[in-house]
Amino acid sequence: MAKKNRDYKKLARDFWYGKPHGERRLGELYEDKTGLYKHREWRGVSDTLYYFYNVWLYNYAHMVTDVMKYGGPINFAKGVWRYRWLGQTYLTAIHWIDRGTEGLRGEALRASPWHHRGMINSTIKQFQRMMKADTKIRGGKKNDAWYHTIAHNETVWGGMFYPWSDKFESVPIEMVPYFVTCHVNCHTVHNYIDAVQSIGLPGDPCPMCQAESGLFVLDDMPDYAPFMVTCNEACDASVATSTLQDWFWDKPLFALPMPMQFDDPLVHKYCMKEIEECWKFVEEQTGVPFNWDQLVKMLKLQNELQEFEWEKWDVAAKTDFYPINGVSQALYRIYQSQYGENEIWHFCDKKVRKVMERCVSKKINPYPQTRHRVIAWSCAPLYYSHWCTWAYNCWGLNVVINMDSLMFDMTIRTDSYENCLSDMATYHMWAPMRRMAVGGMHHIFELWENMEKFNCDMVAMYDQLQCKGMQGVHGLFEDEFRKRNVNAFWMPHALPDSRTVSRMELRRIINDYMTTVMHEEPLDPSLLDFDDSMSW
Amino acid sequence: MKKCKCKCGCKLGKLLAKLLGGVLLANVVLFIVFFFDLDGKFLFKVVEPLLCKHYDNMERKDTLKSPYDMDKYPSYQFNS
Amino acid sequence: MKDLKHLIYFENLLQEANNELVQKAKAEGKYAIGYTCYFMPEVLLDLPGCFSVRLRAPRCTSPDIATYYMSSRVCHYARSLLERALEGGYNFLDAQMATETCTATCRFQEHLQQKHLDSVEDMRIIDNDNFFCEFIDVPFKKTNIAYDHYRDQLRFHVLGKLHDNLGIDVSDEALMQAIEQHNEVCRLINEIGDYRKLSNPTITGYEFHVIQLVSLVCPKYLILPYLRETAEELKTREPDDKWPFRCKVVLAGSENDDPDFTKLIESCGAEVVCDRYCYGAVESRQPIVVQPGQDPLEAIARHYLDTSNCPRFMPQDEMRARKKKLADLVKEYNADGLIIASNKFCEYWSYERVIDTVIMNRDFGIPVCSIEKEYINAASGQLRTRFQAFVESVEIKKIQEGK
Repeated sequence: MAKKNRDYKKLARDFWYGKPHGERRLGELYEDKTGLYKHREWRGVSDTLYYFYNVWLYNYAHMVTDVMKYGGPINFAKGVWRYRWLGQTYLTAIHWIDRGTEGLRGEALRASPWHHRGMINSTIKQFQRMMKADTKIRGGKKNDAWYHTIAHNETVWGGMFYPWSDKFESVPIEMVPYFVTCHVNCHTVHNYIDAVQSIGLPGDPCPMCQAESGLFVLDDMPDYAPFMVTCNEACDASVATSTLQDWFWDKPLFALPMPMQFDDPLVHKYCMKEIEECWKFVEEQTGVPFNWDQLVKMLKLQNELQEFEWEKWDVAAKTDFYPINGVSQALYRIYQSQYGENEIWHFCDKKVRKVMERCVSKKINPYPQTRHRVIAWSCAPLYYSHWCTWAYNCWGLNVVINMDSLMFDMTIRTDSYENCLSDMATYHMWAPMRRMAVGGMHHIFELWENMEKFNCDMVAMYDQLQCKGMQGVHGLFEDEFRKRNVNAFWMPHALPDSRTVSRMELRRIINDYMTTVMHEEPLDPSLLDFDDSMSW
Repeated sequence: MKKCKCKCGCKLGKLLAKLLGGVLLANVVLFIVFFFDLDGKFLFKVVEPLLCKHYDNMERKDTLKSPYDMDKYPSYQFNS
Repeated sequence: MKDLKHLIYFENLLQEANNELVQKAKAEGKYAIGYTCYFMPEVLLDLPGCFSVRLRAPRCTSPDIATYYMSSRVCHYARSLLERALEGGYNFLDAQMATETCTATCRFQEHLQQKHLDSVEDMRIIDNDNFFCEFIDVPFKKTNIAYDHYRDQLRFHVLGKLHDNLGIDVSDEALMQAIEQHNEVCRLINEIGDYRKLSNPTITGYEFHVIQLVSLVCPKYLILPYLRETAEELKTREPDDKWPFRCKVVLAGSENDDPDFTKLIESCGAEVVCDRYCYGAVESRQPIVVQPGQDPLEAIARHYLDTSNCPRFMPQDEMRARKKKLADLVKEYNADGLIIASNKFCEYWSYERVIDTVIMNRDFGIPVCSIEKEYINAASGQLRTRFQAFVESVEIKKIQEGK
């Protein structure tokens, strides 16, 4: 037998530093179909230990302490037993981090997972509040927590309820049961989509709204608050979803509409009045008056988050030293800006700032294999938000920024009630998936200016197959891409439903584009084709 | 080799050593769990199927039987 | 029954948007103003000097270019409108008064808009240099602040633009004149429609559908003489000795401007006695009441929000009340059942249909036939089977109840 010619020096170097990008063969780490790892990636001694202690162990430990802190193990255990979306998702959270951080090294690895930590904490805080107040797991009994919780549609910005935040907790209805769960474990949401279709809903309306309705159809929504505030965001289907939610929840409901033509000053004035109406409804329902000081206090805290976000964008746009990867950027930003103020965001931002400042001062490029700076536009596949990680590892596509991150591009003035209300109205109307999608199609074409601003040379164009608004401008984008000679690939998907266009199919589409249009070779050929159809 | 005269010190030393050994062992075990994704495999192959079986067999309310009273709620209008 | 004198003429008027009467009004120097949604008050587009045309795309079965622009996953109605526009079918329009009330028609109308921006090139679909497209924001509520907002939108974006761009007189007197004309159309259509309440109606659902549609797509002042004559004719129209249908139904649902769809239902034995859908008469043909001393625009704004039962309205009391209103219609028109039809890809009605299907039957005891359809119904065979089965089930129910 021929003796293998081993390069021990290289082996030692790979052990100590991790393999260089082109030699990693990350695709070989997966078990077939399940997406589980045969073994987790060896990233070199320092990065592996960092990931083991500061990400894996740290997050597992905090998942326990957060549960203890926010509602205790009994509420949690009852919740896991009662609600599919909770039980099937909570325990798989670490693997969500795994998927979002594959291949990261150095400063990128030190910055990106903090965003997941923030989201996990916030998620636990929310579902624990739901469980603490839920009447369904305590035989219909209403407790103090139930009376002190405000339920609202996930697309109603949590800031609307800041004036009561010293006495009440506001918990978005669908943010955890639907939105977070399909990122973390895409299996759960299929049940809800199927449930609503089983009562006769056609398959074509927005699957996000279908899933939200399905939660109610399957009686899988905790009863955690005495009333609810809903809205018309993101689309016609969301308006209609409110009808089903009203029927199945059967509690006082206030519709806080987001007017459509938000550029119009008349519309802006109207929106301000609607917000005041909502506040009066909350006052009536809670019996607690509007607290201006509390609102100001919370808005100031939220403004700090926005100011840091601007700093981040600045680094992302003007340098190669931005350490946050595409999936962390997108998910954290939309979560944080929509949910509103939460102390964990400040904690995580502080950690990230440290890393980012280090990158800038030492001129560290955390994504050295970047071949293309990509802007991702329109709404993303929730079941495959981590495609950006794959795209960087496989093709060197670095998703620098995405549309949803750019929605809430503002701080809110607190110098007077009028200014504050006016800014809150703007913020409200710029809700997720909306600022660029409604109020005139010219907004969706803000793509070009952002592409320039963030110095991007390629567009990942999300193609939500059941989004009527985006499908309705499909051809114009094609025309503009051609006219401007922009490199763009379309990514068809059905938001949370991984069955419509699988992750594997999405990768195939990008692979095809990169080979046939861009004529490029993959950085890691092992990632070109693998089956993760059963993965979370 | 001299015999240690201080009984307390010796006990403390042993305890520390045991503790250190325990921590080290825990680290090693946890690292094995981490590196070979044993947590993922356990969750995917054992916990999730059990939970799903439970959720699939749960008795659920027939929500289509929920009442839908036409006049139950007022028009929430305040600035009139 | 004896054929209606103008029915064939009316049918011909529905063959294309730029019909004989539209051409005539244009030749007289009137401005043609297109719109798609009930929330754009047609009465404002019928001010002296201009006339409203509710857009349709009859016989558009294959919207290929529009499908390139809007994909195949958007409502066939919106795509058909875009296709017809791209073919030049709406070049007679001087303006499009638009609403962002449902996503698909909003996108269609945005394609018509000339915005002169760097970010996206204008398509210049309507071959008319002076053409403009203006949007209004329509509230989701019927509260006082919503009325005010809607009125302000109409004042600025509709009256303001009609006056500034086309020189239309938008004074209160002109508004009153338009309301008067509108109310006459409503009075006539209601008079004609009320014959459907008879035990043996002297007008079929199909005939009424055609008449209602011509009142939406033709200049009012030109169609009025025909409507008057038809109303007169119906006063003495004798029904067939034996009622030729097996049951009566209310047809509710999303956009429907296809009289052949009504004909299809009736050919299966169900007479359509009431039409509560977009382009139907239940809402659009209620007269506008201006109280003494009331600003006519205010009255119009209130009227259009109050009369609409669109599933777009979100307040809890509204969501629930519209189910009751639908049940009341079934009663008022002595109908035996309800057909709820939603256009494929219409999100509002997909949900509303699901709820109505359960609630109308469960809480009001009304038999419901729930169907999804295309804008132009190619699959009429399948629908026919559904309707026939429904008619049979209604008949069995009637027998069981001893009616």
